[in-house]
Amino acid sequence: MRELQRARLFLGVLLTMSLVILTVDHRAGVASPLWPLRSAGSWFFGTVERIGGSVARPVGGFVAALVNAPGAQAELDRLKTENAKLRAGLASNRLDAVRSTELRKLLGTAGLGGYKIVTASVVARRGQPGFEDAVQIDVGTRDGVRPEMTVLNGEGLIGRVVQVSSDTSTVVLISDPASAAGARLEGGQEIGVVHGVGENGRLVRFRLLDSTAPITRGGRIVSFGSQRGAPYVAGVPIGVIERVEATPGELTRIAYARPYADLTALDVVGVVVRAPAKDPKDAVLPREPQVAREAALPRARGGQPRPRDRQGAVSPRKEGAR
Amino acid sequence: MTAALCVLGALLVQVMLVNRLPLPAGGAPDLVLLAVVAVALLRGPAAGVVAGFCAGLLVDLIPPTAHLMGMYAFVFALVGYVAGRGIGGTVTTVVLCVLIAPLVAAALGGLVADPRVTLETLTERIPVSAVYTLIVSPLVIWLITRERPRPRLLK
Repeated sequence: MRELQRARLFLGVLLTMSLVILTVDHRAGVASPLWPLRSAGSWFFGTVERIGGSVARPVGGFVAALVNAPGAQAELDRLKTENAKLRAGLASNRLDAVRSTELRKLLGTAGLGGYKIVTASVVARRGQPGFEDAVQIDVGTRDGVRPEMTVLNGEGLIGRVVQVSSDTSTVVLISDPASAAGARLEGGQEIGVVHGVGENGRLVRFRLLDSTAPITRGGRIVSFGSQRGAPYVAGVPIGVIERVEATPGELTRIAYARPYADLTALDVVGVVVRAPAKDPKDAVLPREPQVAREAALPRARGGQPRPRDRQGAVSPRKEGAR
Repeated sequence: MTAALCVLGALLVQVMLVNRLPLPAGGAPDLVLLAVVAVALLRGPAAGVVAGFCAGLLVDLIPPTAHLMGMYAFVFALVGYVAGRGIGGTVTTVVLCVLIAPLVAAALGGLVADPRVTLETLTERIPVSAVYTLIVSPLVIWLITRERPRPRLLK
């Protein structure tokens, strides 16, 4: 009985204490007196995670390979087809063009848009315990990273930096329900906002501010950019509209888009430390969506060495083939 | 000491490894919760509350984090107490704790108007991760029942 009484006392005291901490943190925001504690923790455990990241990565890769095993055969078939195509390309002496495309993809979104980026690896991820969708990356103030910077990878927008310590920083992903990014439909000035909906980054919600604007499945969205590029720089590809929701009588239209970047398995990312001088508009979007849609269809004309078809096959993760 | 190391280890494995696995249905087991439950089951309610509170504070501190501090300190202190008191047998206690922890967290998130707590969180995210946690929990229960005859080793 004595033990239980003591436990009840502890429970009361500690629950009150956590509620006080919670209230103080909630009301004070960034000026919170708990900020030093938080940055100290971020520095210490960020360093631990950065060091441990090299150990954890191969294990994660192995389990990911096991989980993805059912899709491996399809991937193998796809690669075989691609291989045949590349051979055909070699035969017709057009490999140079292919390589140039590959290289441009490799140099990446950054080169295309004129972003200056710092590359980083993901060392830790939040999802449990907690409802936020955030990752820790292994670059910090020493590499020139500051809060409210855009994070992207070779495929599209990932999120924004929220907290930085000397060697690591925290990135909130666009799939986080509390994040909102300005976005624009490709080829027009129709703007909207991209919200995360959880679901581990498989879909994001796109709220188009003009309810009369045409919006269809397969439409592509890029980031609209904020003032002085913080937190989001302009022109980063975000995703493809997957389905449009009927919202009769509302002022906005809602669509769900599949992000270009595979937010479920992030590894190498880039932090935009300097935005391009000029909005790159749609230049960074992957080319020719119709090609990609062909790629998703059964491959009736697999061996034809058409340059456009090949381009679709080079970047299969972006469109449909997943 | 062992308890603290267990909780810290579970937390680091959680953020560095488990959360990064692209598991089907997009959830992950909550190892920290299970570690807290295990410590509380072994040491009783008073130690459970303190261990839960400290584990929760660590959860709020370890990056990447974007929620308010104190949230999981509350949740895990409560879970530590419930698990320490025990409701029915070990299995019932573990299952109950796995189920109430995310609900209390969601309720607390709702109280401070966290935009991440929506109906979808309640109907999709929480059930998926609860199922994953329950799948992993037999391991924890086994560890506890195995140590039962000689609990002094852990103290």
